[in-house]
Amino acid sequence: MFTPPSVGRLAVGGAGCPLLVGTCGYSYAEWRDCGFYPATSRSADMLGLYMRFFPIVELNYTWYQMPRAEAVQRMVTRVPADFRFAAKLTRTLTHERSTEWRSELHRYRQGIAPLGERLATVLIQLPPDFDRSEAHRYYLAGILDGLQGLPVAVEFRHASWAVDQVYGELERRGVTLVAVDAPAIPSLFPSLDVVTNSDFFYVRFHGRNLRGWQSSNMQKKFDYDYQAAELQEWVAGPLARMASHSSRGYVFFNNHVRGQAPRNASLLQKLLQTRMAEDERCSGSAQ
Amino acid sequence: MFRERSIIHFNVADFAVAVERMCDNSLRRRPLIIAPLQAARAVVYDMSEEAYQDGVRKKMALAQAKKRCPEAVVVSPRIELYRRAMQQCIKRVKRFSPCFEHGWADGHLFVDMTGTHRLFGPAPDVAWKVRKEVRNDLGIAPIWSVSPSKLVAKVASRVVKPSGEYIVGAGEEEAFLAPLPVSLLPGLHWWERRMLDELNIARIGEIARLSRQELVIPFGGRGDFFHDTSRGIDHQAVGGGARQDSTFCYDHHFADDTNDQSSVRRAVAAMAAQAGAELRDGGRAVRRIGLRLIYSDGLSAIRQASRRVGSCDDTVLRDMALLALERAWRRRTRLRSCHLVCDRLHRRSPQLSLLSMLPEQQPVEENLLGALDTIRHRFGKCGVQRGCRLRAAPYASPGLAPMTSRNMTSL
Repeated sequence: MFTPPSVGRLAVGGAGCPLLVGTCGYSYAEWRDCGFYPATSRSADMLGLYMRFFPIVELNYTWYQMPRAEAVQRMVTRVPADFRFAAKLTRTLTHERSTEWRSELHRYRQGIAPLGERLATVLIQLPPDFDRSEAHRYYLAGILDGLQGLPVAVEFRHASWAVDQVYGELERRGVTLVAVDAPAIPSLFPSLDVVTNSDFFYVRFHGRNLRGWQSSNMQKKFDYDYQAAELQEWVAGPLARMASHSSRGYVFFNNHVRGQAPRNASLLQKLLQTRMAEDERCSGSAQ
Repeated sequence: MFRERSIIHFNVADFAVAVERMCDNSLRRRPLIIAPLQAARAVVYDMSEEAYQDGVRKKMALAQAKKRCPEAVVVSPRIELYRRAMQQCIKRVKRFSPCFEHGWADGHLFVDMTGTHRLFGPAPDVAWKVRKEVRNDLGIAPIWSVSPSKLVAKVASRVVKPSGEYIVGAGEEEAFLAPLPVSLLPGLHWWERRMLDELNIARIGEIARLSRQELVIPFGGRGDFFHDTSRGIDHQAVGGGARQDSTFCYDHHFADDTNDQSSVRRAVAAMAAQAGAELRDGGRAVRRIGLRLIYSDGLSAIRQASRRVGSCDDTVLRDMALLALERAWRRRTRLRSCHLVCDRLHRRSPQLSLLSMLPEQQPVEENLLGALDTIRHRFGKCGVQRGCRLRAAPYASPGLAPMTSRNMTSL
């Protein structure tokens, strides 16, 4: 059973960095089966139900299809002013790159324009074959130039990008490097807590299903249920460290299978609340 | 139990053109028109987007099309090739759902993904995977759309044509349709378009604002259709429709327009045999066969043949289909395609007949049909064909004289 926690900003670390927890996507039929959404809810109702639990969502449909301003506008009108969206960059700009990427990027910017102040960030998730070759470096630089003026986060899936030069360049551009929790695969970009943008950090929990990750089946890849101890490690370690270097943090769970993502996101929210209460108690007794 | 439907519509824009370009890369550089080159009054079978932009349309006379797009390359249709390409697309879809529906080599494919999310994930992910496979393996990139109904999925595909994708969630259908032009609604008759024009209704949302009663006034019995369609209400099942309910339909498009009796009769007999095999598979029998002939000038003729007792025997069905052909084929104009419909279906009775056939004949005929069906199941529909001598039809048509080189040229 899901019990709605109080929606709001949670703080970790002494700096009191607001942390928004959500999931990657919100429209899953199986979340109805597992009880997160009522059994009779329609897809159109899901965002309204979702925002009772979480203050932010990562829009993954914008990866499958180029966002259209009119559809985004319709969605925006259904959420309160303080609800935030992270919009994934469309696949034609990341996984199926073409020579017409400039016009595609222009269309993308137009499509997400109605999000306005509600846009937390644009997420560029690069595919595993996108290594740090010269051509790819130029391409990524072009994409980042094209997204100038918008908050941007980049998730690499190839280990060759894990070098200081890359972090330095991202920092110079004010672009966030996405931290991930994923199976330990040597070719995959490692799990790091490097902060390249003091405005915000961005964490994605993909699950640790190694066998599933190597299959091509999405239902196996993201089938993982985080235990409280695993999330507690993140709260005490990487999240606290990143929070001390940023003014805000976004955390998303991508293990959507069988409703594990909202369940784990709720669990993390509780752990963060407990941690915050403990911090307040400690600071109170110190005074 | 509540079950929200999730339907994917794949559509390869200008399917025949896409297949021809896949086979010959040089055709990508110029506008392309597909039309039978030998036909006397050939009309356009399909055309590329560039030719479309120049004003070329399907069923337009080839001479007129050439005038509108003089730089276009014209190639003859290769129907069998398109059919094979379509089968390849279907093969890739079958892995994800047993419930699908497709047109006859036209690049349209509906897949019902309802209830498969635990196995394959969200429908947009499946659509993307299938598209990627089709693009990598066949070199053609279908449009895809996901929606809770066939109607909305089809409109969404039309919105993004010639390339792209669209996802419409359940509950968003009406808002999605409202700003779109009425011309995007499928299934409108020409007179209905004219009526909408006269009523100054340009957007689907403007129809949706009218009540059922208001829509009955201009559209009569079709008022309900407009009421539901404009709101995105469509409960039509994928893979169902007419076939599942009451009819079996088959199409044959001649590679070149023809009036060759033997090839037309052969095509009709082949469709009847296919119908026989499928009827036997489904344990059904048919009492009526209708045949629609479409001439190269766009006119059509429909006739039928029926019998009191239903049958699924190939020979009986072939004779019925040829009788319908005999009744329908009254003009000298060449034929573009023919469409065979089996209706008045009923379940085949397991009760054996006492008198209708000699006991020693019955097992032979049944065994033969059973063996043919087994071979077809194993090696495909074309694995084996029943041979037959098609007599020259003693057509009653006064206009259809025996074909000679002399009157062929005058057609």
